[in-house]
Amino acid sequence: MLTGFGVVSPIATGADAFWPALAAGTRGVRTISHLDATELPSRVAGEVPAFSAKAMMTETKYRKELKSMARTVELGVIGSQLAMANAGLAKGTVPPHRIGIEFAALMGATDLNDMAAAAKLASPGGEHTDSRVWGAKGLNEITPVWMLKFLPNMPACHATILYDMQGPSNTQIPGDSSGLVALAEASRILRRGLADVMLVGSSEARINPVTLSRHNLFVQLTKRNDDPAGAIRPFDLTRDGTAPGEGTAAFTLETLEHAQARGANILGEVAGWAAGVDRGCKGPGLARVIHNALAHAKVSAADIDHVNAHGTGTTAGDAFEARGIAEVFGRETPVFAPLSRFGNLGAASGLMELACSVFALKHGELPPTLNHSEPDPACPIDVHVGAPRPVTKPFALKVSYTPLGQCAVAVVKKWQ
Amino acid sequence: MKRRVVITGMGVITPLGHSPAELFAASVKGETAVGPITHFDASTFPTTFASQVSNFDLAKWIDRANRFANCGVNTHYALAAAKQALGEAGLLDANTGDRSRMGVYLGSGEGKEDFDILTSSTAAATAEGSREANIGKAVGLLFRRLNGPQEAEQEMYSPSGYLANEFALDGPFASCQTACAASSQAIGEAMEMIRDGEADVMLAGGSHSMITPLGISGFNRLTALSQRNDSPKTASRPFDLTRDGFVIGEGAGLLVLEELESAKARGANIIAELTGYGTTADAFRMTDPHPEGRGAIRCMADALADARLQPTDIGYINAHGTSTQANDAAETAGIKAVFKDHAYKLPISSSKSMLGHLIAAAGAVELVITVLALRKGVIPPTINYQTPDPDCDLDYVPNRAREVRFKHALSNSFGFGGQNISLVVSEFAG
Repeated sequence: MLTGFGVVSPIATGADAFWPALAAGTRGVRTISHLDATELPSRVAGEVPAFSAKAMMTETKYRKELKSMARTVELGVIGSQLAMANAGLAKGTVPPHRIGIEFAALMGATDLNDMAAAAKLASPGGEHTDSRVWGAKGLNEITPVWMLKFLPNMPACHATILYDMQGPSNTQIPGDSSGLVALAEASRILRRGLADVMLVGSSEARINPVTLSRHNLFVQLTKRNDDPAGAIRPFDLTRDGTAPGEGTAAFTLETLEHAQARGANILGEVAGWAAGVDRGCKGPGLARVIHNALAHAKVSAADIDHVNAHGTGTTAGDAFEARGIAEVFGRETPVFAPLSRFGNLGAASGLMELACSVFALKHGELPPTLNHSEPDPACPIDVHVGAPRPVTKPFALKVSYTPLGQCAVAVVKKWQ
Repeated sequence: MKRRVVITGMGVITPLGHSPAELFAASVKGETAVGPITHFDASTFPTTFASQVSNFDLAKWIDRANRFANCGVNTHYALAAAKQALGEAGLLDANTGDRSRMGVYLGSGEGKEDFDILTSSTAAATAEGSREANIGKAVGLLFRRLNGPQEAEQEMYSPSGYLANEFALDGPFASCQTACAASSQAIGEAMEMIRDGEADVMLAGGSHSMITPLGISGFNRLTALSQRNDSPKTASRPFDLTRDGFVIGEGAGLLVLEELESAKARGANIIAELTGYGTTADAFRMTDPHPEGRGAIRCMADALADARLQPTDIGYINAHGTSTQANDAAETAGIKAVFKDHAYKLPISSSKSMLGHLIAAAGAVELVITVLALRKGVIPPTINYQTPDPDCDLDYVPNRAREVRFKHALSNSFGFGGQNISLVVSEFAG
């Protein structure tokens, strides 16, 4: 059972603000302002405005540890804190060995200013770096905790310390599929009785010099710099790429018995999941994984209210995803792609996008996909646009994938 | 009754050999490959040595190896280890078995970081005497200088994704990064996926190299590495009083885990049975283990319970044994708490004394050694053990291998960030 949600996103911060922002159609993709990106071809992103981990961290004694946290780690720790608070789970309310964590995060990028002084010493001309000078002099200019600032498992590490979670702790890294893989593993851990509560979190901060410059080299990023809010166009004929985002999305996941015994507010239920690889991103492999997830949830395609797609707005990615979805659902089932509202959050994309369906089921209303106006024959699916649509069935199916065809699918159910 | 999980194939790329047989033979002899770092000029770093993979050629393992030219060595080592493991298991042919029931679970880390371009571009954007770069300028330089095709292959989904694509493993996948515990955690959770019926075969383990300027810089700043530069080969000395940090290594280890009935039905050679898995968190500090081994104790106890074994059933422990002051003392305390009197009768050794610390790949490679020790009745030693530490007073199989027959062994992996993993392997008894 999903019993708590924590979120910091380009469209809203905090569970209570998230649904109103979705329902209102808030657009979080804007011209990049965190840094000067004028030299990059793509200059739009889903930024979190005015995020301060220091201001948001309720455990004031732990604020001193922020010096060991890159932005992605800060976001993850705050997301975890918000989810635990939303679930009403203070430290100590669950026996330490009965609560664990599954996190989705990637290697963070180093802050260039953490290495600027060292780099200047070892590369005075700025052309090449002499590793001998770096080792002899540069290293002394680097903060001792430098490496800990961006290791993928650090959000989980800090969260386990803050909430005394001594159950299993794992961090998933298979790109955009990480969140759903973490959700599946946490569910598996609860089912085998190893814990009563698992925090399933995710975070990523892509609006930094290293990630932006790298992704501009090998990810199809949108060139619609003059129209940031309309730049990401899922499954639209005129789509020209995606845009990065940042944020954190975290759920508390509990067994039904534990949730009911403490009178928890149940947001929704994880009904099933599956993962598998579609070699070459052709479509049938994704369809197979969707079928497996439906079977795992013991439902059929006809039971699904809507498909929640990754819908990144890339030419090849959307066509692949649509082929897989179409093979199972045809044009019968509405497809909702929330990513155009906040950008591609990478490791945090799966849970952020899943949350949109959890709240849609809960509130009985499916918001539309934004920026989809011209259907693409290469994407033979029914993309839900226009007015909100009443939810008519209790299940939603969420799709995530990586460019190497690693597809993860989850089925969530409205709690009744 | 849980579905049972057996090991039907193993593969490694390590500093001590490019196959399980080579690795085990070198381990029994007490060899080490630790020496000066040659991957880059580390001569002025606080630590100048490491345990490196040598004479590795991907083309020896994989057809058209140049397809992977832009990938990091984490992907290269993983591909070669997978080729061995799947070959031994008889599962290399993509037409063998139901590939949608075969998956990948890889513990891995970052790929190739372009240290030169990253740092020189930062320098070019930093004014003389300043500690802050002109970010806009740095962004432009990075965008123009970085090699796009190479950067594209460094995403963290790549190593696990390439294993699935190259070897037609279409089933469930996962990839974790829990520092030094990652590949053991991958093996444990992959076992659970088979037990739960989500897959029949999982290729599980890890691949990693941090022998890079940024990797060594990071660990040196944390003062985690041994700085015994005048004697690299004796630097990794787990449980010795004079230990001063770990020796960094690199490599990959992968095992084919298979559901017992599936293995029997296709007549696979069963190497050993994976019987127990424990997973806990310390919830203590970022880099230090809990001094009394709090998380490690429950982790080992959980693994024994999972395997339905008593402490006295265990005949050998392959320790995490990093050669840091904190780990080796805490692990020893944890072993005593779990095994009581039996702790003093139980041979315990650290493969890291010879191999160094393969970080995300460590646990899987050490499990391969543990499995071969079980099969051959020979326990590889803890080398470089000279000065006893009063806090570490167990039997660490010092310096010489020992012939001992046993049926069950436990392998520990504990990681930065507080993740603890214990695995139990058992002789396959039908």
